[in-house]
Amino acid sequence: MKVRGDILRTYQSIHTWTGIIAGLVLFIGFYAGSLSMFEDELSYWATPSSYHLPQVPVEKLDTLIKKTSSIFEKAQQGFTINFNDQLSPLTWTEEGGGRGLKLNHIVNHATLSEQNELITQVNLTNELGDLIDTLHRTAGIVGKIGHEDLGVLILGVAAILYFLALVSGVIFLLPTLAKSFFALRENKGANRFWLDSHNLIGIISLPFHLIISMTVVVFAFHDAFYGGLSLAYGEKALFERPEESSIVYSVDQLPPIADYLEKIEKIADGYHIESMVFSGLTSSRPSLGITVINHQEMMRNYTGDLIFMNPYTYEVNFSSAKINEKDVYTPLVASFFSLHFGGYAGDFGRWIYFIMGLLGAFLFYSGNLIWLEKRRQKQNVQTKPNKFMASLTIGICLGSILAVVNTLLASKWLYLMGMQINNYYLTCYYLTFFVAIIYSFYRGAAKSAIHLLYTISLACLLIPLTSLLLNIVPDLALWEPRALTSFTVEFIALIFAGFFYFGALKTKYRAYHGERNSIWALPMIKVPETISCKNVVIE
Amino acid sequence: MARLLANEKIQPHWWSKTFAGSVLGLTLTYAIVSIFAWYGPGGIEATSKVQFNMWLITPIWLSIFSLTYLFKTGIKAIIYLSSANLFFYSIFLTLRWLS
Repeated sequence: MKVRGDILRTYQSIHTWTGIIAGLVLFIGFYAGSLSMFEDELSYWATPSSYHLPQVPVEKLDTLIKKTSSIFEKAQQGFTINFNDQLSPLTWTEEGGGRGLKLNHIVNHATLSEQNELITQVNLTNELGDLIDTLHRTAGIVGKIGHEDLGVLILGVAAILYFLALVSGVIFLLPTLAKSFFALRENKGANRFWLDSHNLIGIISLPFHLIISMTVVVFAFHDAFYGGLSLAYGEKALFERPEESSIVYSVDQLPPIADYLEKIEKIADGYHIESMVFSGLTSSRPSLGITVINHQEMMRNYTGDLIFMNPYTYEVNFSSAKINEKDVYTPLVASFFSLHFGGYAGDFGRWIYFIMGLLGAFLFYSGNLIWLEKRRQKQNVQTKPNKFMASLTIGICLGSILAVVNTLLASKWLYLMGMQINNYYLTCYYLTFFVAIIYSFYRGAAKSAIHLLYTISLACLLIPLTSLLLNIVPDLALWEPRALTSFTVEFIALIFAGFFYFGALKTKYRAYHGERNSIWALPMIKVPETISCKNVVIE
Repeated sequence: MARLLANEKIQPHWWSKTFAGSVLGLTLTYAIVSIFAWYGPGGIEATSKVQFNMWLITPIWLSIFSLTYLFKTGIKAIIYLSSANLFFYSIFLTLRWLS
């Protein structure tokens, strides 16, 4: 396809600059997003088995609620019922509600023994999954503006630039698209190979990237967008507040759990209940949030759809699942969320999103590398800004990967040492991250890239080794021995250990045998004979 | 394709075009979304439509924004987008006044 030269040049500039400005934060957002597809599993993987109490049959739940609420005053106001076999049947918190990340979040667990005696215990929650999710949403940038996270707003701006980068990238690729779409030219030098893979991945995952960029803009700026929209609505309110009920109920008046199951089966056929969150039970605005799952449907999130109702009257205030045939907009809106969170196609869909997220991270990393090489071709010497950008790219990208891997690795050891786990997660992440950045500026991009890749590989390898050790040594068995199929985390870590080791070897090879004035080149200390012979033959 | 003369080529004009795309593009988007909100399927009252309207803003705005750089000059971008704003807002206000 022919496109005018001036249009190509304009959009090439846009692509370069938007990519360079937004690429690094988006890199973190993407690979952490990949991991956050499995945030619940990661939290569960990290939490010692004894932290969860055994489940009870559904019929016994009413007894459990009655016994717990008669003894614990806070449980009269609100509690959570889990139907998941891996979690405690009933949990509540003494600190009161409120959402968001809490590092010192204490949760009370309750269950019944065979003889219907109440068993309770108190645990510090494991926030590993939430921390990864926070990293995903903020790229690790701390601070708040009003009630919004600064990092979320920065990623929102980055997502706008990212959309511009996508459109401009496609436009200036158009003339050569048909010819070189599937071309991965290995024999034309490392940089051509990077460029070809950058283009191939960018084009095949374009729909995914368009969706992610637009949804991130909405997630960051929805308050502002609603603010603008309210002008068009004039005197009409955007949202109607649910009417305050004049009757105040108490927990004894709650209907039996079986009634809710029946009700959900009636309004959302095919869904099963995952959890029920009761809150404000003794106030004038009682609420019940039910998480329902149906893997045959497009759900708002891979963790399920949400239905909110009044727990005493069953009056539904909100549902992200389609419960009304005439309602067209609710499923449409839910589908936008679903497309971001990967709430369709079950576990297969989650793995696809996991891979797409990693490929997205690769897109930003390779984009920066291509930019650095291109600048060198124009100038033939490595300028200061080039070196700065190279060190920054290596430090931030590899540093944040190493930081997360180290945190995962440290997790089980921290429990064994009896540490205040969640705070140490944060320390571990930021310490590794900043040390890696300092290192990459101190040693230069070429050398630190090799060293960091080796370190990541080693840290990945130690994760399965740690689990193996804990399974063998009985004294360390905070985690029950598990079936082979539940070693997914360890297995994936092993694959990544191999991948990063291979990357380190490749980078090392390029440093000593690649183009001499590349930013990735390192001075040769001694030239082995075999290689100098080869060079002579080629020349 | 004949070679373009210097003054026929697209000029960079980064700041003025970025202003036109981001600000005038957004106001234009609001005009379009407002018309949809009141007169699109379901009218203003349909369940969850306010959320859908909010979701519509981003794709429309960013599409306009990303294509604004195709205008030959920054001034042209501002003029054309302002006129489009005027056009869609007058439609919206007329419809509101009539109903």
